[in-house]
Amino acid sequence: MTTRQDESSEYERVQAGPEFQELRRRYRNWAFPVTVGFLVWYLLYVVLSGWARGFMGTQVFGNVNVALIFGFLQFVSTFLIAWAYARHADKKLDPLSDKLRGEMEGTSNE
Amino acid sequence: MSAGLGVSAVVVVVVAAILIGAFGLRLSRTTSDFYVASRSVSPLWNASAIGGEYLSAASFLGIAGLILAYGADMLWLPVGWTGGYLVLLVLVSAPLRRSGAYTLPDFAEARLESMAVRRMASVLVVLIGWLYLMPQFQSAGLVLRTITGGPAWVGGLLVAVVVAVNVLSGGMRSITFVQAFQYWLKLTALALPVVFLLFAWHGHGKPGLGRDAPPVFTDPVTVTVSTEVSVRVERPVEVTVSGQVDGRAARGERITLRPGPHTIAADTTVGFPAGAPVPHIESLPVLTDHEWALPLHGREHPLYATYSLILATFLGTMGLPHVLVRFYTNPDGRAARRTTLVVLTLLGAFYLLPAIYGALGRLYTPELLMTGRTDAVVLTLPGRLVGGTAGELLGALVTAGAFAAFLSTSSGLAVSVAGVIGQDILRGGVRSFRAATLLAVTVPLALAMAARSLAVADVVGLAFAVAASSFCPLLVLGIWWRRLSAAGAMAGLLTGGGLASVAVIAVITGGPYTGWTGALLAQPAAWTVPISFTVMIVVSLLTPGGVPLGVARTMVRLHAPETLNVNRGDWRPRSS
Repeated sequence: MTTRQDESSEYERVQAGPEFQELRRRYRNWAFPVTVGFLVWYLLYVVLSGWARGFMGTQVFGNVNVALIFGFLQFVSTFLIAWAYARHADKKLDPLSDKLRGEMEGTSNE
Repeated sequence: MSAGLGVSAVVVVVVAAILIGAFGLRLSRTTSDFYVASRSVSPLWNASAIGGEYLSAASFLGIAGLILAYGADMLWLPVGWTGGYLVLLVLVSAPLRRSGAYTLPDFAEARLESMAVRRMASVLVVLIGWLYLMPQFQSAGLVLRTITGGPAWVGGLLVAVVVAVNVLSGGMRSITFVQAFQYWLKLTALALPVVFLLFAWHGHGKPGLGRDAPPVFTDPVTVTVSTEVSVRVERPVEVTVSGQVDGRAARGERITLRPGPHTIAADTTVGFPAGAPVPHIESLPVLTDHEWALPLHGREHPLYATYSLILATFLGTMGLPHVLVRFYTNPDGRAARRTTLVVLTLLGAFYLLPAIYGALGRLYTPELLMTGRTDAVVLTLPGRLVGGTAGELLGALVTAGAFAAFLSTSSGLAVSVAGVIGQDILRGGVRSFRAATLLAVTVPLALAMAARSLAVADVVGLAFAVAASSFCPLLVLGIWWRRLSAAGAMAGLLTGGGLASVAVIAVITGGPYTGWTGALLAQPAAWTVPISFTVMIVVSLLTPGGVPLGVARTMVRLHAPETLNVNRGDWRPRSS
């Protein structure tokens, strides 16, 4: 029981460190709004289908209407968001975690 | 399609699967052990392997069938099945990789430090696995019946036996290369016929789906009904009947079917003249081409059904037992992200094809709307549109792809389910694993034979709904919310998973239901997911003492980057 609490407080310290918090903040500030954003974008399709039927039924070319093009765009957007996430993680998250590691390794012997 | 070619295609795939299983045992022990050596595999191979395991009978046959029957609304299935990976990538994959937990029960135990929650998670994994296996077996029956006319249980039994043999011999699934090959086989098996089909369609003057009327038989056609169906006739039509219609026997006589419902007995052939509207089976809606191409027309309460489908597919993917484990085969987070990007590309490329089959099916195989066997559209089209030997070869190719889909997905699932049954429910050890494998395969096989015939993609959708209303709250709250308590997790899993399972059982064993009851039961996610989240949060807040002691340590392990050299502890599941 006591060892466990000691361990916990050590991890509490790591977790409370400003750079670790910054890392979590950066991750969350990107991931949560983007998740909400892409859910809204998918739900927009449903909303348009429900309340803008004329628009969705507009024939663009041949038998392809706006709804089908929207449906195709959902695939494309899924891929684009994933690509954006990978870029964000490579550029914003990984350098910070590398720096964090450098500092931790510099100060401690771990 | 001639039975001979189709059967040979099945035999080739089955023999290949068994051989690979037999030799794979040696291979997997020496060169490509799943958890270790595959870490040196490139993202493309890894992503192909994920795709190979993920694309099941529902993707290969089911989506095209549902698009044929219900139209544009069903595009949400592939979009959701792809989007589910996105949610998994952004919210769950990185912390879960760092947790060191290989399975969902492992994660439950590591995060909540409770064996009770672990056991509950195990039961849910088994339920979801069974629910996902059942339609694979049913579809195998459908395929064999389509090519040979034999009874439906043969195909299911065949796949079940091959999977059991493979899992028991320990091969197949563990090899990234084989799963990767399966993806490319499935893609080829759908894509190559599409080229020929589109050429044929072009040759027919590119008939469109722009009429403001339900589909008609463009040529005189003879439809054979294999099981009794009840169909609705809209306009009086004179048909030639051999067999029994509305209880009246006929031997090639001409009968006029009046508007209204008609019962056609099993093994009856009905000849329709050209231009006759297609009578629809009572369970399917009659849609004009315009309605078909527009969203929110297919099913009862389409707005609710669509929202529910989106929730189930987007949030359910993260809770599928055979999906998560593949994320461990990447050396680090960066490679895992690359892999996910490639997976999304591969799945997106694959999922464009069923839409083409569905649309062509409406033009060329509308009789499936009458027999209700819309899942057969992918198998039927090549023979119908491309005549002669080429058509038969393409049909055989599609059949081979379908069997590859059943075998790869079923093997992956059976291993996951058998592992959980053997470890967490039986006593563990080799003998338990054998018993567990038999349980993992026979229960869904029995279900497949007993349950009423449902569209394969619908049943798989139900498995997603159960996963979304149990594991999604557990993972999301477990990773992002420190105050989740063991009691809260337990209550949420019980309520969400339980309610969704009740809906599933009602749909599989009873029904068909109509109106709001039908919509709420067929697509439960929209109400079960919020309930599950609410219960988990409220009960956790009421039991603050149940928050595990090591939560700070677990949280650091989940959220500190892998490259960060802190002592994250080496957690091992207690039960292994």
